[in-house]
Amino acid sequence: MDQFLQALINGVMLGAFYAAMMLGFSVIWGVMGVINLAHGEFIMLGAYTTWVLNKDFGWEPFYAIVLVFPLLFIVGYIVQRVLINRVVDQPILVSLLVTFGLSIMIANAVKLAYSADPRLTDTRFGGVWNVGNVTIPVTKTIILGLALVIMASLWAFLNGTRTGKAIRAAAQNKQAARIVGIDINKIYALTFGICIAITGVAGTMISPTLAVHPFMGAPLTLRAFAITALAGLGSIPGALMGGMLLGIVESMIGIYVDRIGTNLAIVAAFVLLVVVLVTRPQGLFGGLRPIEQAEQL
Amino acid sequence: MTTDTAPLLEGRGVTKRFGGLVAVNSIDFLVYPGEIVGLIGPNGSGKTTLLDCLSRVQPIDEGRVFFNGTEITKLKPHKVAHLGMSRTFQVIRVYRKLTVLENMLVSRQWRGESLLSQLRPSHRDNETRARQLIDFLTLDHLIDSPAGNLSGGQRRLLELGMAMMPAPELILLDEAASGVNPTLVETIKDRIRALNTDEGVSFLVVEHDMRFVSDMCNRVYVLNFGEKLAEGTPAEVIENEAVIEAYFGA
Amino acid sequence: MTALATVDSKVRTTRNKQIALAVLFLALLIMPLGTQVADQTWVTNSRLFQFTQMFMLIALASNWNLTGGFIGYVDFGHAVFFGLGAYATGVMMTNQHSIQWPFWPAVIVGAIVAAIFAVMIGFPTLRLKGPYFSIAMLGTFVAMREIVRVSKPVTGGGVGLTLPPYLNRALFYYLTLGLAAAIITFAWWIRRSEFGSSLIAIREDEVGAEMRGINTTLHKITIFVMAGFLTGIVGGIWAYQNTFIDPDIVFVDSRTIDLVMMTMLGGLGTVAGPVVGAAAIYWLRDVVWAAFFDWHLMIQGSLLIAIVLFVPSGLVGLFRRDGSGTSLQRLWGRWLAKQGDEPIEADMGNDAPTDQGTQP
Repeated sequence: MDQFLQALINGVMLGAFYAAMMLGFSVIWGVMGVINLAHGEFIMLGAYTTWVLNKDFGWEPFYAIVLVFPLLFIVGYIVQRVLINRVVDQPILVSLLVTFGLSIMIANAVKLAYSADPRLTDTRFGGVWNVGNVTIPVTKTIILGLALVIMASLWAFLNGTRTGKAIRAAAQNKQAARIVGIDINKIYALTFGICIAITGVAGTMISPTLAVHPFMGAPLTLRAFAITALAGLGSIPGALMGGMLLGIVESMIGIYVDRIGTNLAIVAAFVLLVVVLVTRPQGLFGGLRPIEQAEQL
Repeated sequence: MTTDTAPLLEGRGVTKRFGGLVAVNSIDFLVYPGEIVGLIGPNGSGKTTLLDCLSRVQPIDEGRVFFNGTEITKLKPHKVAHLGMSRTFQVIRVYRKLTVLENMLVSRQWRGESLLSQLRPSHRDNETRARQLIDFLTLDHLIDSPAGNLSGGQRRLLELGMAMMPAPELILLDEAASGVNPTLVETIKDRIRALNTDEGVSFLVVEHDMRFVSDMCNRVYVLNFGEKLAEGTPAEVIENEAVIEAYFGA
Repeated sequence: MTALATVDSKVRTTRNKQIALAVLFLALLIMPLGTQVADQTWVTNSRLFQFTQMFMLIALASNWNLTGGFIGYVDFGHAVFFGLGAYATGVMMTNQHSIQWPFWPAVIVGAIVAAIFAVMIGFPTLRLKGPYFSIAMLGTFVAMREIVRVSKPVTGGGVGLTLPPYLNRALFYYLTLGLAAAIITFAWWIRRSEFGSSLIAIREDEVGAEMRGINTTLHKITIFVMAGFLTGIVGGIWAYQNTFIDPDIVFVDSRTIDLVMMTMLGGLGTVAGPVVGAAAIYWLRDVVWAAFFDWHLMIQGSLLIAIVLFVPSGLVGLFRRDGSGTSLQRLWGRWLAKQGDEPIEADMGNDAPTDQGTQP
């Protein structure tokens, strides 16, 4: 029973992280119709930035968010204007391939700069809380809290501010949004920037607990895809549910399947993805817009 | 074309729902061999949905459909095509990057061959038939043009040709005149009549153009909000009060 | 120019092409004999090895094109069949529990295993559209790596397997050359057949194809399994030549990227495209980038982006002729036009009239 509870708690914390981690991917897809296969690499960039700040400047990793957010926002804004903007109006396969190429470039550029050795950041918020027979690491609790803050802030932004509403309008119907006077290019750049910023922050959050290396991105991108398929494009409640589901499943497998459980976790994500895509391609929640039947190559 | 002969296409209580909306509500209808039957109704009345159900693009929620006595209610679309029923589409579907000739060749008749036998290049009979049809449809000067380069009316003619390639007994036509300039519309009508008279092909035609319907159809069904409102000859249906109200009323 | 003359020149160019191909093939066939010739340093055993690798890439790209190009299902995880072929072959040849199989039957087993997996995974994934199929297959690839890793009793797990060594550069050379030639011929034959035109129809408009009597599921699965089987063979050969396999070098990400990139560079959907693309990438990589080893993946990534954005129809597309000359000529003409110099063009690119209603 204790093992079950532990797995559950781990799963919830992992799940919340996954939810926050994939929001950027989901919103970009929902608003711009772009599938960003370089998603994991932006997480990695945030993680490396944090590591540099931690190792070379002694920053507490979680505080690095203050710098990572604006930095990755700028990176995202530039990438969108220079590259992504060229593919928004093209069939979705093009965005897949271009972002795929981008992911290779970013990962290998970082490998050149910092080598492939795995890194971890040192946080002062170590230690655990013992509740009964269950251990709750402090770090992971902070991650949970930050994840919830991110989700709430994004939700407030998209629903409460004028810019947020413009973004949602652009997601629904680009032509109509243009007619109402919304500058689509700016909206796209802004959206991409914000999404990459959040994604980078996810990298910061995870840097004390997950090995940071140039190729850490791909499994995370796959998970982002799986959860998006489950949750619906840009849906925040969906992301939370989907993230939790995946987190708990992975956690259960990790604890109950001896030794090989952690490797099988990625298999779980993939199986979830295929099952969702085959049975309910429109996802469980509506989100910003439904994944269209006609979203072909 | 009498009621003693067996119907070619028969629908009993065909129903299709999309979530809470009933798009097609328990419709019965018949098409006899050699007929040109019209299917009309205001926008949103379920005409194209019904066609989609018949050609099995959409699953049917309730009811049954029979083609030449065989039940096709649950068959996959390609099987229905093999049985002898073709269709055209409201939003034109031709293979835009292929030439007119290639479009026709790939829509060929299926003689129940195995995949293995298809590993040979196109059969000469296939090509002969394709060229004949292209001539018949006055598209011969465009035979090697990519279908994407054709005008709307020319594409409708091409679609008709593609529907004719497998020598079907019944063609479902979805708005064959829509978006076509008037002279080509006459050509289309003329070709349909010729196919009907000379080759005995039956048609079920979804249309908005009332003149098209009056000129071409033996019988007409009128749909409104997914239900059958009226049926009869074009003349009868035009006079029908309920029909007039559906089109012009509240 | 009379019609007859045009036909004549067409026939002549096809004849010329055929002769050129035959000469090339002959040259490749006798190349290994060059190792016996003293006083030359170009044909060496390592050169044979290079060519072998290139032939394998050509074979792989051509296989990938069968699904990616012919039916338009862009498979981001196709290398999973390579991996299965490699591992099945390796397992059979290093069988710790009973007799070890020799190479030839083992590689057939490898291909069959790949094909069976293609059937299993094809049914769920081929129902998915475009990007979903791509990602599902990518996930399959990544997942299979881990499955192989954890299946230690069978696959040796992370430690890997060591196959019986066999060093005969010439044999592998001929094996892969023959395989590549066979696959290219196969692709060409399929393309010309009725089966092939049905595949193209599926790529252009799957729903329309189904409506017009093409059993799309059967066609898709068939070509998918064929591609998987053939890719499995290449995997088996590679495993034997490499002598050592482990999950990370078999299921390495770049392998599956390469397939996409080579075919796109060469020209998706054409028979020559994957060949041209594979050869180009191989030489670029091996020869030009040997100097920039660390950078080569980065360059590959930027190359993919460049290809997709600027040369979407691939190298073959650049040189393809249609009514108004080659694409290169048309591009040049358009550039001239922009400079104010109007060339006479019968058909300024196939800019089909924008038709809102053709594809939903």
